[in-house]
Amino acid sequence: MTHGGESRLRAWARDRLGWDDLARMAAKKRVPVHRYTIFYYLGGMALFLFLVQTATGILLLLYYRPSAAEAFESVQYVMAEVPFGWLIRSIHSWGANLFVGVVFAHMISVLFLRAYRAPREMTWVTGVVLCFLALGFGFSGYLLPWNTLAFFATKVGTDVPAQIPGVGHLLSRILRGGSDVSGATLSRFYGIHVAILPAVTTLLLGAHLLLVQRHGMSVPRSVEGRNRRTIPFVPDFLMRDMVGWLAAVGLLAALAAFFPWELGVKADPFAPAPAGIRPEWYFLWMFQGLKYLPSRIAGIPGETLGVLFFGVLAVALVAVPWLDRRGRRGVAVAAVLVLALAAVLTVLALLPVSASRS
Amino acid sequence: MRSAPGIVLLLLAVAAPDAGAEAPATKPPPAVNACIDCHVALDDPRISPPAKLFADDVHAKAGFTCVFCHGGDARQEDQEKAHDPAKGFLGKPRPQQIPELCGKCHSDPALMKQYDPSERVDQLSEYRSSGHGKALAKGDTTVAECASCHGAHGIQPIKDSRSPVSPTKIAQTCNRCHGDAKLMTAHGLPSDVYEKWSRSVHYAARVGKGDLSAPTCNSCHGNHGAAPPQVDSVANVCGTCHVTFADQFKLSPHWEPFKELGLPGCVACHENHEIVKPSEAFLAAGDESKCSSCHEEGSAGARAAAAMHADLVGLDGEIRNATRLVDRAEEAGMEISRARFDLVAATNALTRARSEVHLFRASAVHDAVAEGRTVAQKAASGGEARLKERDFRRRGLFVSLGLIVLSMAALIVWIRDRDRSMRESGE
Repeated sequence: MTHGGESRLRAWARDRLGWDDLARMAAKKRVPVHRYTIFYYLGGMALFLFLVQTATGILLLLYYRPSAAEAFESVQYVMAEVPFGWLIRSIHSWGANLFVGVVFAHMISVLFLRAYRAPREMTWVTGVVLCFLALGFGFSGYLLPWNTLAFFATKVGTDVPAQIPGVGHLLSRILRGGSDVSGATLSRFYGIHVAILPAVTTLLLGAHLLLVQRHGMSVPRSVEGRNRRTIPFVPDFLMRDMVGWLAAVGLLAALAAFFPWELGVKADPFAPAPAGIRPEWYFLWMFQGLKYLPSRIAGIPGETLGVLFFGVLAVALVAVPWLDRRGRRGVAVAAVLVLALAAVLTVLALLPVSASRS
Repeated sequence: MRSAPGIVLLLLAVAAPDAGAEAPATKPPPAVNACIDCHVALDDPRISPPAKLFADDVHAKAGFTCVFCHGGDARQEDQEKAHDPAKGFLGKPRPQQIPELCGKCHSDPALMKQYDPSERVDQLSEYRSSGHGKALAKGDTTVAECASCHGAHGIQPIKDSRSPVSPTKIAQTCNRCHGDAKLMTAHGLPSDVYEKWSRSVHYAARVGKGDLSAPTCNSCHGNHGAAPPQVDSVANVCGTCHVTFADQFKLSPHWEPFKELGLPGCVACHENHEIVKPSEAFLAAGDESKCSSCHEEGSAGARAAAAMHADLVGLDGEIRNATRLVDRAEEAGMEISRARFDLVAATNALTRARSEVHLFRASAVHDAVAEGRTVAQKAASGGEARLKERDFRRRGLFVSLGLIVLSMAALIVWIRDRDRSMRESGE
């Protein structure tokens, strides 16, 4: 099978796909080794979990039926009857949470290591938007099993944009596909979850990865300039990545086997909202924050101010590379404060109702 | 069941101010009511409190004044003129007078329609048919008349929780007399009925769960026509709610003999006031047995009871076993909706089988139990299958984790070797 010391397949790929160029590029890419190198693995982990979500999501599509009449039953069928359906759905649900968690960790590490510095501003911007898209995936996917908890959490969640002055109600109607959460919302969220978000994410992810290739790995200032050791990305760093990916697969499998993702009770739009409805953990801090706001602050509805605050925060997050130039210490202090606030609000939201009331 | 929203509700509507208590009235009088002005100001504890209470009375709110019941002239400030017997002044009505006094308005359909088109007007005739009414007619003034239950001057509609005959208070109101041992002994009646009722399933539903459809005193005895159900009407009384049981009992081989022996239908097994939750033990031999009080051991009746008992206990056990399996599978996070559905069907079959007991035919109970057993076994095998599936998943996980850990170890070994060779080559 060799032809002048080279496999035929390789020769075929070299001639048609430019394999040699790719191999040269991969061989050239090197990863700096220093005390913060561990944080470099978070990006690869996020990418791996995204691929897991894509693969399990495609498998779920084979059985899922996006209508208020059939969605719950189709997921129930996946969990009870489809061979290994329980595994795929549980990995998809647990994986979504792990994915968002890793994306957060990746972004926070980049923020504190200041890896967004010039010329990597656009890598940061695409990354932040990808993080928002991950949250969008979580929000839209949460409703798809059409269970009571998801139904009412989506009702609360789609009420939030309605607080935006001027366009809020229109935005909320567009999201819901009507004045209230209904089968129309489910169809819409399904479209967003399986078509719109994946398409936009793929494009942005491509841009993000290209930019990472273009600029290479950022080295924190504190370890910059020393006589740095580097290792080749292929195969050394990739093999290390794979150790983490295998661990993630093991964790997901264990979670799926011991704690299969609950399905709950089918949503009944005419039933009263059950006690204890709350969104996924990554939205909890905003949910809890809005609850604590007084009904009016200086004549403006408290929730409107809250939503505007979150909007300002999102814009500020995108603008971090430019804000950093004006006041580096300010960005770090603000980031610590916001993270601490989010952590406290999340803990308060997770406390039992009686405890949080007292 | 409605109780009289005041036999005294419009105690007074029938007399114009000048006509006294005997004359009929169709409309409320002028608002002048000198009676209240004087009576409120008096210190006499017999006179002042009723006048004060009347301000909040349903009749006062409808525009009626004191003279509609008590007669006299409400426009006179002078006591003698106001209490003029020529103007029908009655003073405090005697107990025997009260039902007729209230009935003057409350038995007048034309008048009552002006205030509530759906209001009943048969309270007086009902009362006359009651144990209370008959005793009062014989001159026994210790029995209840309208004011005994509804009050005299602060009368509220029965839907108002302040009314002593509101749905949540009626039992305590009856118990004011029926719990009085001295009074009840004088009438040859038991005084522990409230106590017994408070141990019943009906009390638990009504008071414990707030289910106002569960019976209280007047649900079975009537309110204005209150009387104990007779032996041959007990099944009809219970059957107003327990329709299926009553129908089945009438079709059962017990129906005719019970009538001949004068046994009080449902009460023979279930008691009257202290109706506790029935159990399979009613059918078995033992302290709780109901059947053995009539059917001797070894008789056909006792054998039928034992067969029904065995069937019901067997199905109950199978449902418990299936529930335990399904619960365990659910705790392990397994999808068990189909098994739960089967469990509900099995429980429904058990309920039906228990109901079939009132036919007193072992074959009827057996058929219902057989149906329940089939679904209970289906639920149990569903639960077992889910538990096996759980074990399969865990075994699969351990195998997969083993492979994953091996792969990770191989990668780590490879990385270390590679690092070592790179260091040695000075790369």
